[in-house]
Amino acid sequence: MLRWVAAGMVVVNGFFPAVWILFTSLKSEAELVQKPITWWPAKPMLDNYVRAFTDQPLLTYLKNSLLIACGATVLSLVVAAFAAYAIARLNLKRRQLILTCIVASSMFPLVTLLVPIFETMRTLGWLNTYIALILPYVVLNLPVCTLVLVSFFQSIPRDLENAAMIDGCTRMGALWQVVVPLAAPGVFTAGILAFVNSWDEFLLALSLNSSPAVRTLPVGIALYQGEFTFPWPIISAALIVAIVPVAILIALFQERVVGGLTQGGLKG
Amino acid sequence: MLSKLRDPSEKTLAVMLLAPAFLLLLMIVVYPIGKLIYNSLYAVDKNGAFLGLQNYLDVLQDPLFWNATKNTLLITVITVPGALIAGLALAMLANLPFKRKWPVRLSLLLPWALPLSFAGLIFAWFFHTEYGVVNDVISRLGLQSEPTSWLLKPNWAFAAICLTVIWKTSSFMALILLAGLQMIPKSLYEAAEVDGASRWQQFWQITIPMLMPSIVVALIFRTITALQTFDIPYTMTRGGPGEATETLAMLIHKYTIDYSDISFGSTLAVFMFVISLFVTGFYLKQIGKNAA
Repeated sequence: MLRWVAAGMVVVNGFFPAVWILFTSLKSEAELVQKPITWWPAKPMLDNYVRAFTDQPLLTYLKNSLLIACGATVLSLVVAAFAAYAIARLNLKRRQLILTCIVASSMFPLVTLLVPIFETMRTLGWLNTYIALILPYVVLNLPVCTLVLVSFFQSIPRDLENAAMIDGCTRMGALWQVVVPLAAPGVFTAGILAFVNSWDEFLLALSLNSSPAVRTLPVGIALYQGEFTFPWPIISAALIVAIVPVAILIALFQERVVGGLTQGGLKG
Repeated sequence: MLSKLRDPSEKTLAVMLLAPAFLLLLMIVVYPIGKLIYNSLYAVDKNGAFLGLQNYLDVLQDPLFWNATKNTLLITVITVPGALIAGLALAMLANLPFKRKWPVRLSLLLPWALPLSFAGLIFAWFFHTEYGVVNDVISRLGLQSEPTSWLLKPNWAFAAICLTVIWKTSSFMALILLAGLQMIPKSLYEAAEVDGASRWQQFWQITIPMLMPSIVVALIFRTITALQTFDIPYTMTRGGPGEATETLAMLIHKYTIDYSDISFGSTLAVFMFVISLFVTGFYLKQIGKNAA
């Protein structure tokens, strides 16, 4: 019994906001302004979802978010995997110092770097492009991806690699044919963390990509404007559209995500 | 040359593998810090003349700076312990032996994965004066006759923002602390049970000390992010009413992006940088003391 109450409290705390937004998104405007307010939608309808896509370029925001988050994830993984392999495997004198440098970069408040990053992107003419966000996101993801991957590389027996090299593989060949397949679960975990980080980022997306054509979902939805008031049912529908893909992703791979998070966190 | 690329020496390989990461850090972290300090000393928006410390003096005389600093520190002081307590409670609840673990685990992951800006939007709707669920519940409980204008009154808006930040950040805390809880050996509690220790004593004598490393890590992470608070107040109140909920991050954003005052924005950023360093340093020193 106590266990049910405990589980109930945790589940309500985690799900209530999303469920409430789901209910709001299914209500008509007339139902929304009823007093006292209704909890369960009286006549659930999908009009708000249609309007979320037609009133505002939600599909464009969705596309921008997907491309930027995927681009940043892939690039983060490549850069972090290179660095992590070097730290975990090569005979480096200052192994710990290198790792500390990479992790300490996450200690710098991103906001303080906003001004020069904005200037740099303006000089390069990259404002309002995908690359303007992808590059800073890679740096943002680098510490956690590197930490997760270093511990994965360290868990792969060095003998396997050596055996491949004795069998005539080059070092790069051994890396590609032995280490990469074995590290796939670690790469996947780091990838999910990088994706969620990039998908969620707001400040840089708001500052560097202000033009509507390149806005990401968080910025696009936050800057939604109705004609007279903030259109809450339509916002709610847009939020649900934006939340569902990530919710499915973490629901499918929750054990990995938790593992990666605590690994990245506890070692940092 | 080609064979060298295929089978490089240890040293060449190390340089090749580490180069991308360090080039990016150079471009996005190191160079910006240098540029930040340069911006704060020169009139980069006008004629580029050397200003010396003029910008710094201007910042210190700007009431908006002091207001934003106060708000940022207040948010940090309230939400970091708040999220720790809420996160610890969630972690202890989630650590009970459930048959199915996924509903509880997913309930902790969902708020973590939710963008801060979405949490701000959702809670702004919760705290809506007329149609918000918060006022609805408080009214049904008979605790108020008139609905509270949460986001329109300075102190209430501040409280609403702090509650939202605590909700959003406590689940990450809980995930870190849960991992720590699961590493505490069961035998410790069994031994304490035999010695007749109460649940309360077990909590303070076993759980908290054993959890300390996780708590410290979670606190450092949370404090660093709390000092940068931007998304939630931006989406809930845009810093209003007036400047009652404006944080340092929001002030930097306003001067740099909205007013295009790179020089002043950079100086503010240097101040924020110093404040963060100071707070992080203080933490690390305290940890050092505790460890000794």
